[in-house]
Amino acid sequence: MMSEEARTRVEFDEHGKRTTYDEIEVGKDLGSLEWVVGGNDIEKQCAIDEDFHPWFALDSEWNGVIAPPQIQYRPPRWLLSRTYNIRGVFYRWDFENLKPIRPGEKITITGRILDKWIDRDREFMSYEAEGRDAGGELVFRTTRVHALDVVERTAPRKGAGQDSGIKQEKI
Amino acid sequence: MAIIGKDTPVGTELPVFARRFRNEMFAMGDIKTIHNDDAAAQREGLPRAVAVGPQVAALIFRMMRCCFEEGWIVGGRVALTFRRPVWSNDFATAHGVIKGKEVESDKVRVVCDVWVERGDGEKAIVGTCSALVPGA
Repeated sequence: MMSEEARTRVEFDEHGKRTTYDEIEVGKDLGSLEWVVGGNDIEKQCAIDEDFHPWFALDSEWNGVIAPPQIQYRPPRWLLSRTYNIRGVFYRWDFENLKPIRPGEKITITGRILDKWIDRDREFMSYEAEGRDAGGELVFRTTRVHALDVVERTAPRKGAGQDSGIKQEKI
Repeated sequence: MAIIGKDTPVGTELPVFARRFRNEMFAMGDIKTIHNDDAAAQREGLPRAVAVGPQVAALIFRMMRCCFEEGWIVGGRVALTFRRPVWSNDFATAHGVIKGKEVESDKVRVVCDVWVERGDGEKAIVGTCSALVPGA
């Protein structure tokens, strides 16, 4: 079921013009972002996911509190959103946990656009990112795919959206 | 202590994890998003507000963490496809079943088929997750 209003794809949202398929540059370096997880971030992530464990609040065998690994979802998304305003819907999420994520530790996130393609009349794009600690060791790596729109690509891009791919950079 | 080990048979079902989502869980002050406002979702072509995908997937991660503990935190791997939306007031259930094992240096990687079902039984997220257990 799709509303009549949504027979168009969104062209503008609260943060400006949406990125179009043609504007996405395969291979583009997304730059880097420095991320430090705060203790409150861990508490918030646990609450959001209803994922509680003493490791995330008290102590762990890695000598101190660690974060639930899925806390790494947002920073690569922020990195993408610094270059492209993509809302759409999340389609694929691959990642690997290589080291625990600790509060107060600086993690440098880098990423690049991997690919873009059209399937079933929808536009898709993929990007990869990795996070490294201050010693340069890999903490996590991830690959994501977004569909640019729920609506078919043959629908005109002229609608006004409220939501945006650009979010506040906080957990 | 992890409840899955190297001798746990292929075909073993992982414990089920479930939760009820509510629209208010996705509130962001007065900011209207596809996750907390039906009209905002409809502007994007969705019939109504949808839950945040990573929050739904977190049911799978919780299941994996409970089953594998340390071997999930260091060595966990995920490959998920979001096939269908989970509604922002939906009930979602994560499932998993062990589908294989691979020796990885001095450990064993246990590979699981995983999925999340919506309240209507539709599989919303499907994929594989794996984690390491001691002893090759």
